[in-house]
Amino acid sequence: MIPFEEKLRNALRHEAAPEGFAERVLARTQREPEPGVKTWRQLKALVSGPAFRWALATAAVCLVIAAVLVHNQRQERLRQEGELARVQVRQALHIASVKLNVARKKVQEINREAPSSRL
Amino acid sequence: MTTVTLPQGEEALARSVRGDAAAFGDLVQEHQSMVFSIAYHFLHDRGRAEEVAQDVFLRLYRHLDSIKSGDHLVFWLRKVTCRRSIDEVRKLPKAPPTSLEDVAEPVAESPEVDPLLSRGLQRMVASLSEDARAVIILRYQEELELADIAEILDIPVNTVKSRLQRSLEILREKFHRWAGDVQR
Repeated sequence: MIPFEEKLRNALRHEAAPEGFAERVLARTQREPEPGVKTWRQLKALVSGPAFRWALATAAVCLVIAAVLVHNQRQERLRQEGELARVQVRQALHIASVKLNVARKKVQEINREAPSSRL
Repeated sequence: MTTVTLPQGEEALARSVRGDAAAFGDLVQEHQSMVFSIAYHFLHDRGRAEEVAQDVFLRLYRHLDSIKSGDHLVFWLRKVTCRRSIDEVRKLPKAPPTSLEDVAEPVAESPEVDPLLSRGLQRMVASLSEDARAVIILRYQEELELADIAEILDIPVNTVKSRLQRSLEILREKFHRWAGDVQR
């Protein structure tokens, strides 16, 4: 007596595919793009599509705006640094002038005292 | 310099990926029986089974660059054929359950394959639910282990086990009723 599972195995054996099956499949593949070329074609189609052109134009505009912003920021920083340097130079000149005045007064005092001491 | 020789199937696959139509034809010849049989045992209709099998190979042609090896190819073909067959079954209007009178009477049991008995069992398999059918076909046609079936159908192994047990119970019961009717 054949066990039930063996009967099932026999019933579900591989069936031969219909005559000319492979030829019909190959005929259908003739209408398809070559498998290796597919990815390149998809990429080409994507690049030449209007959506890609819009994306490219938007990216270019964004890049120009970003460049202008960076340039403006850099100019502002340079201006602030220049202003700071100007204030520092002015302060230095003021300090130097005060010191020179003090020195000049001392020299005048010495000159005034000098003739009397010579007598 | 040494030349690496690939096994025949692997070489046909590698050449197919490079666009060799003849090599793709070899791949179809090699696997057509498996793909057609899975579809046929699902649908029990040679015309529809051929349609499904052709679609599977066409899909393979489009996805050749994603196939990594001969083993992967067989796995991919089984998976896609099962899915495509399940979709095809779901598209069909619900068939009434197979009546015992519709199935041909079995002849006296012999060690060789009895075509009538096989046809009866095929119809019983085709009357199961799509999910149960997939498990039975992969187990008894493709002789796969439960873990492999689980991977192909993307379900847990325990689900495969329970579906297989339940389907076998149903099939045994139908088969015994059918055989009993014939003996009476």
